[in-house]
Amino acid sequence: MYDFNVARPGSIDEAVKLLSDEDAQALGGGQTLIPTMKQRLAAPELLVSLTNIPEMQGVCRDGDTLSIGGATPHAVVARDAAAHFPGLAALAGQIGDPAVRNRGTLGGSLANNDPSACYPAAALGTGATIVTNTRRIASEDFFQGMFDTALDEGEIIVSVDFPIAEVSAYAKFAQPASRFALVGAFVARYADGVRVAITGASETGVFRWTEAEEALSQDFSHEALDGLSVDSDGMIGDIHGAPTYRAHLVSVMTRRAVAAAI
Amino acid sequence: MTVAKPLPHDSAALHVTGQARYVDDLPLPEGAVHLAFGTAPVAHGRLRSIDLTKVRAADGVLAVITAADLDHEIDVSPSPSPEPLLAGDTVQYVGQPVFLVIAESHLLARRAAALADYDIEELPAILSIEEAMEAGSRFEEGPRIYTRGDAAEAITTAPHSLTGSIEIGGQEHFYLEGQAAAALPQEAGDMLVYSSSQHPTEIQHKVAHALHLPMHAVRCEVRRMGGGFGGKESQGNSLAIACALAARLTGRPATMRYDRDDDMTITGKRHDFRIDYRVGFNGEGRIAGIEFLQLCRCGWSMDLSLPVADRAMLHADNAYFIPNMRVESHRLKTNTQSATAFRGFGGPQGMVGIERVLDHVAHAVRRDPLDVRRANYYRPLAGASGGDISEQAKTQTTHYHMPVEDFILHEMTERLVETSDYRARRAAVAEWNARNDVLKKGIALTPVKFGISFTLTHLNQAGALVHVYQDGSIHMNHGGTEMGQGLFQKVAQVAASRFGIGIERVKITATDTGKVPNTSATAASSGSDLNGMAVQAACDTIRERLAVFVAERAQARPEEVRFEGGKVLVGGEALSFDEVVRDAYMARVSLSSTGFYATPKIVWDRIKGEGRPFFYFAYGVAVTEVAIDTLTGENRILRTDILHDCGASLNPALDIGQIEGGYVQGAGWLTTEELVWDGKGRLRTHAPSTYKIPACSDRPDILNVALWDGANREETVYRSKAVGEPPLMLGISALMALSDAVASCGKAYPDLDAPATAEQVLRAVERVCT
Ligand SMILES: Cc1cc2nc3c(=O)[nH]c(=O)nc-3n(C[C@H](O)[C@H](O)[C@H](O)COP(=O)(O)OP(=O)(O)OC[C@H]3O[C@@H](n4cnc5c(N)ncnc54)[C@H](O)[C@@H]3O)c2cc1C
Repeated sequence: MYDFNVARPGSIDEAVKLLSDEDAQALGGGQTLIPTMKQRLAAPELLVSLTNIPEMQGVCRDGDTLSIGGATPHAVVARDAAAHFPGLAALAGQIGDPAVRNRGTLGGSLANNDPSACYPAAALGTGATIVTNTRRIASEDFFQGMFDTALDEGEIIVSVDFPIAEVSAYAKFAQPASRFALVGAFVARYADGVRVAITGASETGVFRWTEAEEALSQDFSHEALDGLSVDSDGMIGDIHGAPTYRAHLVSVMTRRAVAAAI
Repeated sequence: MTVAKPLPHDSAALHVTGQARYVDDLPLPEGAVHLAFGTAPVAHGRLRSIDLTKVRAADGVLAVITAADLDHEIDVSPSPSPEPLLAGDTVQYVGQPVFLVIAESHLLARRAAALADYDIEELPAILSIEEAMEAGSRFEEGPRIYTRGDAAEAITTAPHSLTGSIEIGGQEHFYLEGQAAAALPQEAGDMLVYSSSQHPTEIQHKVAHALHLPMHAVRCEVRRMGGGFGGKESQGNSLAIACALAARLTGRPATMRYDRDDDMTITGKRHDFRIDYRVGFNGEGRIAGIEFLQLCRCGWSMDLSLPVADRAMLHADNAYFIPNMRVESHRLKTNTQSATAFRGFGGPQGMVGIERVLDHVAHAVRRDPLDVRRANYYRPLAGASGGDISEQAKTQTTHYHMPVEDFILHEMTERLVETSDYRARRAAVAEWNARNDVLKKGIALTPVKFGISFTLTHLNQAGALVHVYQDGSIHMNHGGTEMGQGLFQKVAQVAASRFGIGIERVKITATDTGKVPNTSATAASSGSDLNGMAVQAACDTIRERLAVFVAERAQARPEEVRFEGGKVLVGGEALSFDEVVRDAYMARVSLSSTGFYATPKIVWDRIKGEGRPFFYFAYGVAVTEVAIDTLTGENRILRTDILHDCGASLNPALDIGQIEGGYVQGAGWLTTEELVWDGKGRLRTHAPSTYKIPACSDRPDILNVALWDGANREETVYRSKAVGEPPLMLGISALMALSDAVASCGKAYPDLDAPATAEQVLRAVERVCT
């Protein structure tokens, strides 16, 4: 690790100002960034911690929307969202281990957009809106491929607005060593249709499985998915699983998410 | 008597309070230097040049050493085939040490080591078993072949035959304490070495050679290791030698430890194998003949690969009398880490091969694999259970012509079948599988017959040194090393029992080449067998002297003197042990002795494959029940029942601990522990985030372990049996249970490779279904 300084601003404005320096970087829970710095794959001179800003903390319901602060740890979401949006809370409760859930944050996870992360499936699978210090970004526009997002330099995720689903569930096949998603499927039913988002599987990161969405919007049952599958072309093939295995798991996990949601 | 008591590990309290010292915890004198290796970035290549400017200029760097800086080629190999400490003109695997950085701290050394600029002409690398076979890349001139009878003929004339092949992955040792060493320069060029090693004598020998010193000028001390599993039999040589070189060069203490990623990248692992088989059998599954082709990936240097591959051949029969058998073994040289000793030392791979054959044959004849296994077991011992005595009296021999004189698996299997409720559970599994489409269950019972002794006969010796101090307290030392297995406690129990005193009177001390010389590695499960006997011999010498002394005073005969409950009983009198010792001291009786032991009966010709390589066999049986998810391949062990043979156990608590740990490690090897190298020969699984070892939560919820209550037929220490390695192979029952579960999905044979990861299991399910 190279030398760096840490700032802990108390407001968004202050954070944004500090981040205007090109050698500064936002710090959420540090669960991804700190290991990256240890491996010297990142070398910011200033870390701007976002965990001391009250507006970026906590879970708050406004009608059919659950708004979650960008610096809210996974464990808090798992606990406080449970009464409002059980599918989302359950997803947060399956991330990593207790230490990771107590430190890692929603904003950090989305900004990082790891192809095997869980939250991107929830954001895309609910049609969430990512609220930054400058704008509101639809989840469809936010994720732009592995480790890539629509965020500009120095832009921070202040909160995320999740439309609350009628029913929803996340089914995750955990890679046994790291517990990251080898494949994860988030399924959510709304009055106007069903959304299905898949993480862990595709080389382009989280994606919506539209065929499954159409079938499920007609008939929200796992039988509705019979005969449907995704092409293994473009699926990730790595030391943990072949593209065909991941493609297979996409259908299985989606079915299981549907079954769990009902 | 202290022997046979379930006493806790002698260091248990120190372990859990963090007070137990490992090499890296030792406070070193001021000014210690820290070392790190710079390692090869390619699997095979000619090293044209290496620019170390940035390394030398890095913060805290004191010196950098390459092969060219050494006055001779320093050999770190435990085998006759040399292995250079630092690569010379060619690099042979990704991770091979190329240069040594000496720096002010561990981190500074590691950082600097990453800064080298290599100019390497890449050469074609041989990575896989198939590539090595094609290229004829091997150790030894050709394959080793052990035979009995005519396997080809037996297979041809048998009513049925089949062929198959299984790939068996390697395994990372994942000792919690990584490799570590420290060297302290002494006066007149002598060297004191602390090493996390199973083989202090080898460290002493190798360091002496590297420094051009006689062995007497080097002393190696090992208090304990945080796990070894065979990974510290030879793999610690490089670190100890590097430390000694650096200590000599700088005149300062030197220490080195591998970071986990470095450890996994640099050091050898369990050998992976491909085993092809052809087997002839009758309609009941009784086997007439087998041909095995064992292909063993050894990595780039010979290390311990020859005896490992030999032991795989020696366990190709496991518990079964195969009248005609041919085992052909190829020891293949590849551009990967040098595979090394790992708990079981090739035995597990050989045993997986034969258990796979039994499973396959049982599937072919549609019988419960347990019945097929029993039908092929070695014959029961004469008089063990009814039947034709004259027929039973004939002892059967293994395919390497060793008589099996202590076979107890019939009785053990029968007992476990009962206590595990195998028959009813097998029926319940079938019923479950008939009712459920997604989750399928499987159950399997597999036996273990494991040969005890080093196959290199001369290694079967051990020494001990025992002092009785004038206050009656005892200092005990022997050549075995403690790696968490509980050896020290077991041997201390032997010492306490010989003198009839409490265990607290016996001081356990660090293994030290200055106290007991010329020791063998603590390996081949032989730690207690060898060192227990040597300590017993040393204690008995002193006890005999004390007996003569008190007998003379009491006008009794020395044979009548007894040592019990802290007392010395002679002529109707009970003297306290301490009092007798004090008087003996005053009477100028020597209270110190060495002890020595050499295992009897063993003779072995490894080229012919003939003789009696083992003093005896240790036995075990396990039943494992699993569940698989047929849509994802995920699987869990639901329940395991084990009955294991430790002879008359020296310490049932420690033995059960070894059995539980061995089983879990064996099951981990065959299910989740997957080593993956990429096409460039880089090991991609070099941390716990990618390589999955079993955790506490992966242990089956129900894990019943019982000890078989028989004594060793051979005269071992208190008639106990070795326990280090054998239970690892109980884990094979997990693989076979998975095979059983997969088989329930269709008609075809599952053909499951190891490790049976979720993806492998799913593929097998798909194979069986189509
Ligand atoms: C052992 C382990 C297991 C894990 N398992 C899982 C798992 O199962 N599923 C899963 O989804 N994840 C998993 N994770 C990742 C975890 O969820 C991380 O917390 C998450 O990826 C990053 O969040 P963070 O708050 O720690 O971000 P940091 O590491 O602090 O930052 C990550 C990146 O996001 C940026 N950033 C942080 N906050 C913001 C913000 N508010 N606005 C803009 N940019 C920001 C940072 O600058 C940095 O580039 C695991 C991590 C570990 C260490």
